[in-house]
Amino acid sequence: MTRKTTYITAGGLALPLLFLSLYSVRETEFALVTQFGRPVRTVATAGLHAKWPFQNILWFDKRLRIYNPRPSEFLTRDKKNLVIDNYVAWRIDDPNRFVQSVGDTPAAEMRLHDIIWSGLSAALGTQDLDSLVSTSADKVQATPMLDQLTATADRAALTQYGIRVVDVRIKRLNLPEQNKQSVFARMRAERERIAMQYRAEGEQQALTIRANADRQKEEILSSAYKDAEKVRGAGDAEATRIYGQAYSKNPQFYRLLRTLDSYKKVLDDKTTIILSSDSALLKVLTRGEAGAK
Amino acid sequence: MSTLLTRPSDIAELVESPKPAPVRRRRRILAWLLVLWIVSGIFIVSADQQAVVTRFGAVINPRVAPGIHYALPWPIDSVYKLKVHQLRRTVIGGEIPDAVLGRIQPASSEFLSGDQNLLNVRVVAQYSVSEPRDFLFATEDVDRVVKAVVESELARRIARTPVDDILTTDKIAIQNDVLKTAQHALNDYKPGVELSSINIENVTPPAEAADAFRGVAGARADANRLVNEAEGYANDLIPRAQGEAAQLAEQAQAYKDGKINRAAGDAARFNEVAVEYAKAPEVTAARAYVEAMEQILPKLKKLIVDSNGNLDLTVVRRDDDAATNSNGAIQK
Repeated sequence: MTRKTTYITAGGLALPLLFLSLYSVRETEFALVTQFGRPVRTVATAGLHAKWPFQNILWFDKRLRIYNPRPSEFLTRDKKNLVIDNYVAWRIDDPNRFVQSVGDTPAAEMRLHDIIWSGLSAALGTQDLDSLVSTSADKVQATPMLDQLTATADRAALTQYGIRVVDVRIKRLNLPEQNKQSVFARMRAERERIAMQYRAEGEQQALTIRANADRQKEEILSSAYKDAEKVRGAGDAEATRIYGQAYSKNPQFYRLLRTLDSYKKVLDDKTTIILSSDSALLKVLTRGEAGAK
Repeated sequence: MSTLLTRPSDIAELVESPKPAPVRRRRRILAWLLVLWIVSGIFIVSADQQAVVTRFGAVINPRVAPGIHYALPWPIDSVYKLKVHQLRRTVIGGEIPDAVLGRIQPASSEFLSGDQNLLNVRVVAQYSVSEPRDFLFATEDVDRVVKAVVESELARRIARTPVDDILTTDKIAIQNDVLKTAQHALNDYKPGVELSSINIENVTPPAEAADAFRGVAGARADANRLVNEAEGYANDLIPRAQGEAAQLAEQAQAYKDGKINRAAGDAARFNEVAVEYAKAPEVTAARAYVEAMEQILPKLKKLIVDSNGNLDLTVVRRDDDAATNSNGAIQK
């Protein structure tokens, strides 16, 4: 027996033992170390770990996962039916309890479904539809309700199944198929009302604008008339003053000239006048120079 | 396994004595394999990537920047490379092919608005990796997480908004709000992603009520048209009235100026004449009178009668022509 064979023998024994007693845990996993089927400890930190060669390991995914239960119908406190689609964010927290009470993911989801469904139907039974769906934001109470539901579901799932329920949220609110037709009818009626309102409002606004324009026009024109008449009056007054000033210097001559001027205007070719031969104009004609006296 | 088992014996031989040729060759091959194994730990992270290095499953370097790096070779270290800046898309309210083909699937796209109207909404969320370590190891299915969270926040936001606002004015606000709240909720789950955009691709009323919604749009257009027409009327009417007003003002001003000028002219003329009149009132008056008569009388039909005689009007009517003739005679 040489040294060489000793090495080979030692290696042949040591290596398999090494492989059996070392294991690496990934970031995504829990390792549950079992000894003859009995869980001994849970390893949650990733990295290289050691165990006895006769111990076995069960792996569990410790990542967060999303479970989407099928949408189900719930009744609110005010007796309205709602179809709610929710999701549950969960992860395995205690592999030991998980493997004992549940085993695998589909089974876990079934349990979660039961917990959440009963929790949700109880919670919704105390809420009006208004507190889930409403245009006034302060009425909507969905978030506190779900937070509470998450807390109770988490407590139950953790103690019973070793599952941590991180969050329960409503993904979708909808109405049951059989209610939809009436909702559509209501929507249509509502739209028609709104359309009518738009038209009426448009008409009202248009009429207001037109009336306002008419009023402005009247205002502009009447005020222009007022100003214009004032200006004309001022002109008349000024002209009167000028005439008065000029003519008052010699009223008699003015009367003569003005009268003669008015004759020029008043008398035209349609006028027939009868002149006496005694008139100032014709006196000279009939009597000669004596007439001019 | 066999090489591993034989290796210790090789080393033993190496220490002892000079070896025959086949043994040396085998040793050289083993040395080369060892070198190759060590070199295999070199890895390159390209510019758009970041890498995470784990040793026996545990993260030892959560963020390796682009460049050339070394990690211990398999099976000790593992390298995960990620395109961190790449935008990943997920569609809520339908599938991506639906979006391309313009199809709507009521079951997956119907949302309930605050005033209990149903609406088909399709939203595209885009996100990128913010924390490679969480992205790789914290959640089972990142896309599913993002989808669930965005959908939940979207449903919540829509459930407190009236349908009209969703269809018209609130789109941008909804996108921004959902982006903010969904990111907030995601941070609790640590999927290692950052939402970069929430985009409402499509909001439509359900087919059963679509025509009524179009009717509203039509009514709104009608109302706008009525208002526009009225505004057009006003815009036409008022400037026109203003023009008319300006015209009135100008006319009045013209009247005033004319009147005053004419008065001034008349006054000036009168004054001039009056000065002369004052010098010889009787003659001037007579001249003025006669001159005026000269202007007036030619146009007229005249009958001249003796101051003692009485006027026989029948003669005037019958003998109009004669009178006119005599008129000419007088004129001469």
